[in-house]
Amino acid sequence: MDQLIDVSLFAAALRMITPILLAALGGAICARVGLFNVGLEGLILVGAFSAILGNYLTGSITMAILFAIGCSLLFSLLFAYMSINLQANVIVVGIAINFLAAGLTTFALRAIFNVKGAYYDKDMKGLPKIDIPLIKDIPWIGDIISGQSILVYVSIIIVILLQIYLYKTVSGFRLLAAGENPTAARSIGLPVRKIQYFAVLLSGALCGLAGAQLSLGNVTMFTEGMTSGRGFIALVATMLGQSNPIGVAGASILFGFMEALSYRLQTFSIPSNLSAMLPFVVTIIAMIFFKNNGYKDEAKKSNGSSR
Amino acid sequence: MDKMKSTLQSLLQPLIAIVAGLVIGAIAILVVDGNIIETYREMWNGAFGNMYFFTSTLARATPIILVGLGASLAFKAGFFNMGSEGQMVLGALTAAITALYVPGPAWFKAIAAIMAAMVVAGLWSALAGWLDSRFGMNLLITTLLLNYIASLFAGYMVAYPFKDSTTNSALSQTQMIDKTLWFPKLFSGMTLHIGFIIAIVSTIGLYLFIKYTKKGYQIRMLGGNPLFASYGGVNRGRLMVVSMLISGAFAGLAGASDVLGTSYRFLDGSLVSANYAWTGIMATLLASSNPIGTAIAAIFLAALQTGGMGMERNTDVPLEVSSIIQAVLILFITAKFTISFIKRKKAGAKDGSTN
Repeated sequence: MDQLIDVSLFAAALRMITPILLAALGGAICARVGLFNVGLEGLILVGAFSAILGNYLTGSITMAILFAIGCSLLFSLLFAYMSINLQANVIVVGIAINFLAAGLTTFALRAIFNVKGAYYDKDMKGLPKIDIPLIKDIPWIGDIISGQSILVYVSIIIVILLQIYLYKTVSGFRLLAAGENPTAARSIGLPVRKIQYFAVLLSGALCGLAGAQLSLGNVTMFTEGMTSGRGFIALVATMLGQSNPIGVAGASILFGFMEALSYRLQTFSIPSNLSAMLPFVVTIIAMIFFKNNGYKDEAKKSNGSSR
Repeated sequence: MDKMKSTLQSLLQPLIAIVAGLVIGAIAILVVDGNIIETYREMWNGAFGNMYFFTSTLARATPIILVGLGASLAFKAGFFNMGSEGQMVLGALTAAITALYVPGPAWFKAIAAIMAAMVVAGLWSALAGWLDSRFGMNLLITTLLLNYIASLFAGYMVAYPFKDSTTNSALSQTQMIDKTLWFPKLFSGMTLHIGFIIAIVSTIGLYLFIKYTKKGYQIRMLGGNPLFASYGGVNRGRLMVVSMLISGAFAGLAGASDVLGTSYRFLDGSLVSANYAWTGIMATLLASSNPIGTAIAAIFLAALQTGGMGMERNTDVPLEVSSIIQAVLILFITAKFTISFIKRKKAGAKDGSTN
């Protein structure tokens, strides 16, 4: 393996883009209703663990995915209740969710599987790989696009669906309105809280899928804290993509590709510590091109919308 | 009367959170078939059972207090500095390298190590502040990302250029620093070292700084109401860089105190897996950024951890129960906003203002 860029690099990139993309879409929906979801990392971790657990308990991939979605939904419900009903600081709740997810998954790893650090079962079936007819016969492209796990294709479909939902449907417009100006939205009778709940729960489901791809996509294993910062990278992808599904997809492709590249660089006797920095460094550099909402706007917005 | 009520209110909140944490912890203990009373007793003994365990708890609390103080200053100013971990790691690395390679008498080396750690960690932290004020890059995200870069960089430094080659150990670590540089212990035979005194002095110092100095007032004003602060002529960008610098310096001091007082070398991953930095941030959140409250919360959280270790030694209940309790604590402490929110609503209704 002495080539830096080849087909398998792109195939690996596509695999690594998926969890970031799914979570980032969840983050984007939350951002659209005015909730900055810092808890993505924890939600993905819960999804990754419960996917393995569901698979272990039922032996069925479908059930495993549903179980992952269900558990992440439960966690996002907690997030929604704390930040919408109890009006707690969204960022603090997000951080707390991350802590809770890390603690609970590690605890459950000990309590259920009786192992420390990581659970690996080579007999466990991973997500099915799908060969797309016709496309798989095209050289190069076929090797990259075909034969990926089912969630890779699902994530692409979700991007398109979300784009249509947000910009072409009435319900999507209402969601955007509820985030843009909650007071105005409420005054015309939009159920802002319900819309916010919907958005948070949707992000929970998406993070559950992201987790399933992480723990069942390539190898079937769960390790403590296996998200290792992907949730935060997804958060940056959300911001870079201006919370617009297509834009978010673009940003996720960049970060997923960097991650694949960082693994590839290790085979060139570059110390793994240095190559692993690549996605984070590129993420920070990419942020220069994203302008934060001025803090004054934010302060005004939070003053104006709280009552 | 009102004052007493508000003190009671502020005490009630952490109390509710602690009870909730213990209840959830009890459920977790039941799940693994443990005896709740027995387990909590072992936990208590592991944290406060005798002089040795008690001083170990305080020793563990030392870096947590220092990190927490740094975070509390940034939070007070309204900046979510989530980068304590990276700042602390860089501080510890710098302290170890300085202590090993700077020439001079022992006292000079020790002071140089502490100073260098604070400067490096402070600058790393200020970098994030500068990126925010100059380029509008969200501080919360940059500090999180810088954590990973700092830890990976430190890991590289001790795996290659500064790796301990005197032993055959496969661990990525620096050499052990000279015995003459070690922080003196407060009691012989105990792990508690002079770093704890430094932490307590820093706590009082930061409390006075925030409460009585002009800069401290600006910081509180900026955190409380950024619009008012800018109207009052506070330069947000400059204050951001300065408060991030101090905040990072505290994290660096925490790293130095661990290297000079406990580990005597920098071992890759040891600070991250001990979770000092995040525990410090939790302590600050628990105490709503009050320095003295942060120190107390830090000791409490350290007790949960040393207690958890005692529990794992003597029962079959895994250590992670204490991390669940911690997480629940934080989650419930955020509900504090609730009650004040309801109160505001009620007050609004009473004087007839709109809501």
